[in-house]
Amino acid sequence: MRYPDIDKYAWLDSPIHRLEPRIKILSFTVLIFSAVFVGNIPAALLALAVALLILILSRLPVRFVLQRSTPILVFVLPILLLMPLTVPGTPIWSAGPVAFTEEGLSYAVLITIRAVAAIVLVLTLLGTQRIEATLRALSLLRVPGVIVQMLFFTYRYIYVMMDEFLSIWSAMRAKGYTLRPNRYGLSIIGNLVGMLLVKSYERAERVYCGMEARGYRGKPITVAPFSITAADCFAGLLLIGIAGGLQVYPLVAL
Amino acid sequence: MHISDGVLPMPVIVAGWVITIILLAGTLRWAAKKGDIAREIPKLSVMAGAFFVASLIHIDIPPSSAHLILNGLVGVVLGPLSYLALFIGLTLQALLFQHGGITVIGINTVNVGIPALICYLAFLAGSKRGIPLPAIGGVCGGLGVLLTVVLLVLVLVVSGDQFFAVAGLLAGAHLPIAVAEAIVTGAVVGYLVRVKPELLPIPLKGEKK
Repeated sequence: MRYPDIDKYAWLDSPIHRLEPRIKILSFTVLIFSAVFVGNIPAALLALAVALLILILSRLPVRFVLQRSTPILVFVLPILLLMPLTVPGTPIWSAGPVAFTEEGLSYAVLITIRAVAAIVLVLTLLGTQRIEATLRALSLLRVPGVIVQMLFFTYRYIYVMMDEFLSIWSAMRAKGYTLRPNRYGLSIIGNLVGMLLVKSYERAERVYCGMEARGYRGKPITVAPFSITAADCFAGLLLIGIAGGLQVYPLVAL
Repeated sequence: MHISDGVLPMPVIVAGWVITIILLAGTLRWAAKKGDIAREIPKLSVMAGAFFVASLIHIDIPPSSAHLILNGLVGVVLGPLSYLALFIGLTLQALLFQHGGITVIGINTVNVGIPALICYLAFLAGSKRGIPLPAIGGVCGGLGVLLTVVLLVLVLVVSGDQFFAVAGLLAGAHLPIAVAEAIVTGAVVGYLVRVKPELLPIPLKGEKK
């Protein structure tokens, strides 16, 4: 278990880092949605090229992006392996009952390119600014207060609960516990989770009392720490223009 | 199991967001009627943080290796607000760990949140009948994962016939996790009954229902 240090390269300096958080979130979100909805492989490749270009501009280390993109393999690998074999269509290659179809392969490749383009854009968006800046920008973008506050608090308490978990866990390990997938091993995990919940509940009570004593009434005090410049507007419009272009491109090319 | 960006077609993604927004608005309105929502935010967040951390526990069950989902347990402990807590949890998983995509947070929340709500109702119904609480907890833990798998398969099959084999593989890989979650959730409920029964939606001793 490791800390979620998604913003560990937020201190770098690049045109993407300097982009105003609200503009960045809005334009990247439009771009990400556009990239996941492209309908054919050429347009998807174009989206991937745009994503990679933005990544290069952002100067994020390639290793960071590679390490962080591994979760998508859980979905992309089965799709790449199974779809060409199971989708009916024109066979490119066949051995006995097993056929490798063109339709399956092209659909799987389309999904893979879209997934890679999306994760590169997501990582560039999140990796180039502090997570606090992201959440604050969301609140300024009129995301409901309950949601933003819960994201803030939960994010903060993930670290606390992780430390709690690790201290219980190392105590258990010191007493010779190893996690085995049998009934005993799992019910011990159940006790561990239960203990974590009890600790978190009691902490939550104290946190709430402390916050109420300091005047918390459910409304965050937001100050706007960001200012939008003409260059930000231009960059944002450019990115949204690219997003629109990705959707229009297949129609024009046909 | 959280779906990545770029896999699903547009109508499914839009439907996921619509259902999630309706359910969030509904459960929040319900919570506002019950009491001050400002009171709930810090508590819910700390609990959501705990569930988030617990769901990072990695269990190797040959042939697959997986993280706990714990949506059954979240449903039992947090009640209708579990949908909000799971939405927050999934958003943070997408933002911090890239488990699941950004555009599919809506549909991913549907997949784990609706089973959580069903588990809550199942726990209430079971505890009224006087079935031992750890047993209902175990059932809810398994049920949460199974319903999630059912919804996941449904989402993939609706998205296109091409996903048929992929859906089958994912469903098969999740069955051992359902068993593991049933055991873990049963143990958690048993622990809470002994240590902190006020966390569970049951009438306490000496308290009038």
